[in-house]
Amino acid sequence: MSFARTSIKGLVFCDSRRAYRGLTLFTPVEGKGVWLIDMLGEFVNQWGMAYEPGCYGELLPNGTLLYAGRVDDGPLVDIEGAGGILLEVDWNSNVVWEYKDPYLHHAFYRMKNGNTLVLKWVELPKEIAVRVKGGDPGSERQGIMWGDAIQEIRPNGKIAWEWVAHEHLDPETINRCPLCPRDTWLHANVCVELPDGNILTSFAKINTVAIISKKSGNIKWQWGSTGELAHQHSPSMLDNGNILVFDNGFHPNGLAQNYSRVLEIDPRSDKMVWSYEGPNGGDLKMLIYSSMYSSCQRLLNGNTLACEGTTGRIFEVTSDGDLVWEFVNYLPSCETSPINSRSYPVYSAYRYGMDYPGLRKLK
Amino acid sequence: MSIAKTAKKGVTFYNSQKADDGYTLFSTYNHDVWLIDMEGYIVNRWRMPYRPGSHQVLLPNGNLLFAGMIKSHTELGLPIEMAGIGGIVLEVDWDSNLVWKATVPYQAHDIRSIGDGHVLYAAYHPDGILPHEIAAKVKGGRPGTEFNGKIWGDVVREIDRDGKIVWEWKVYEHLDPEIDIVEPLDNRNIWGYINSLWICRDGNILMSLRNSCEVIKVDYETGKVIARYGKGRIFHQHDARELDNGNILVFDNGCQRHEYKPNYSRVVEIDPKTDEIVWEYKANLPSDFFSCVCCGSERLPNGNTVICESWQGRIFEVTVEGELVWEYISPFVGSIVGMITTMMWRAHRYAPDFPGLRGKELDPKRLPWENRIFGPDSFNKHFTPSIF
Repeated sequence: MSFARTSIKGLVFCDSRRAYRGLTLFTPVEGKGVWLIDMLGEFVNQWGMAYEPGCYGELLPNGTLLYAGRVDDGPLVDIEGAGGILLEVDWNSNVVWEYKDPYLHHAFYRMKNGNTLVLKWVELPKEIAVRVKGGDPGSERQGIMWGDAIQEIRPNGKIAWEWVAHEHLDPETINRCPLCPRDTWLHANVCVELPDGNILTSFAKINTVAIISKKSGNIKWQWGSTGELAHQHSPSMLDNGNILVFDNGFHPNGLAQNYSRVLEIDPRSDKMVWSYEGPNGGDLKMLIYSSMYSSCQRLLNGNTLACEGTTGRIFEVTSDGDLVWEFVNYLPSCETSPINSRSYPVYSAYRYGMDYPGLRKLK
Repeated sequence: MSIAKTAKKGVTFYNSQKADDGYTLFSTYNHDVWLIDMEGYIVNRWRMPYRPGSHQVLLPNGNLLFAGMIKSHTELGLPIEMAGIGGIVLEVDWDSNLVWKATVPYQAHDIRSIGDGHVLYAAYHPDGILPHEIAAKVKGGRPGTEFNGKIWGDVVREIDRDGKIVWEWKVYEHLDPEIDIVEPLDNRNIWGYINSLWICRDGNILMSLRNSCEVIKVDYETGKVIARYGKGRIFHQHDARELDNGNILVFDNGCQRHEYKPNYSRVVEIDPKTDEIVWEYKANLPSDFFSCVCCGSERLPNGNTVICESWQGRIFEVTVEGELVWEYISPFVGSIVGMITTMMWRAHRYAPDFPGLRGKELDPKRLPWENRIFGPDSFNKHFTPSIF
């Protein structure tokens, strides 16, 4: 326990003149709920789910919450990111749509056409698994290494499109982290439909964010694999076409220091055009660190919201790196006594502006 | 930035019933070395002519042994792994008056008092650069990351009061390329990377090797590596020391742990007879206790352990059951590797009956200004959010 670092909880700082006004949705790692708070940290709504997160909930424009839950007795429940069920619920947590597959994991995306993009683990054929480099030998899961598939699921549960990683990526040419266990190969953690219909994804164990062509299945763009990223999460494409990503900084290449940062990359030039690493562009870098999960989001006023997952801290900074909002999660149980004080991690957080269509029913 | 993580400073928790008594020594990469009491009052301040490089210890004779940084690694044109480099050892009295000094080129990390006023230290000395045929055999690490094509090996030296080298030990003469393999994500610019030294009761030397993630015991007479501990279970560890019970206490930083779960640090106690971990301390939520670099831990007379979580500027004490009984957050700010930080290299606790404290003035009233700014009375015990 670190009493000093974990005892301050709830709303810590709010500069309403500069923060982007809205409601913040977040999914604590522990418990079975998704929470919506206002700028002062007051609760506006809570969705109680029947499953623990696997790994988060998101408010859709139509006002429902789409939630990826973890099925307790799933076949791969011990693998980080395991899910198993997608639930779409209304403001009172009543289920309006459901999709089950024991191999669902991490993330989802509700597409323009009403279908849902999902991630699934698929068993890597042995002849491919033996060619995968990196990771302690024998650290496969019961002898099996799990690869990834991205699928487009219709509301009736049928598969409209599928992309299987090992049909498009060659294990011999990929730089996979040598420290990560071989239970999963790439460990995809995101699937996002881009405005042009292509798919943005993130493979944690090869430190790569990539854009996949929906038509051909080819990788149109990738970044981070030569050490720029370290087990990143939560990439998104901004209006300007740049990619924002939370670089966790876990198992960094040739670096003894661990710290996280938010990066903005221009995929046309492959250059990093903006970053947030702490005050003054990097002093006190160690203050920002989450080895796992976490999220980042560019807000309409140019600020950036970041969720430092393992500490449960959600904060907002201006493009100059000034802190304008900070909230520390205390759910599900808020322990701040000196000897028991601890963080309550959060998978991801998202800020919705007051004019977001999904909040219409709230008024 | 994080307000929640940085708002509380000084002694933030103190259970005087369960905590051991004593004084805690540390410095935060500026020109001061501090000694505080259990309530966080400053009882002594040494003002040094150099910033730390990196270690300081209070000697039984009451003087401070201090490794100072003459030139930083960037000024010397050395890679960032050598950021802890010092280059001079000073012995100063309670009032910072110079008693003795010796130049120790390329010295880095720990310094230890050995024998009769001698000093033991490790250095990234060019004398330790691996001969080509040995470098070619070194396994592991990121390919092509040698330093100007060379692998540097640490050189451990013992100097006498005249600064003469009376004992020397080189990594490349004693490590085994088949066993002491560089971790896959570390660079191949250094083999060994000795970040701590400890003189065992039997006169042999315990060394912590960061790049091969192991603790080794070196026979002082022959130079042979006679034991290895912790392989596969400790990562980028620091401060391996022998306890009174013969076990080895190590701070397992966990920087490159072979797991894909939230990263954490821990302190482990290893039984040298079996190389098994017989005690460990982790936070109740493991990721809440983490420092990728530096750090140390000490066993106290009452069985508690005092731990320095350097990256976070935190020193704390736990019971054998892992219960927090004391916590101190450094209010001091220094700078290292071009970064402002509240980090310290290591912290040491000295019991009130430590010989080096005998007859010393330990009244905080001697340092009214320092205590007004950095003492316990200046810190807000209660936090209120800022909303505007």
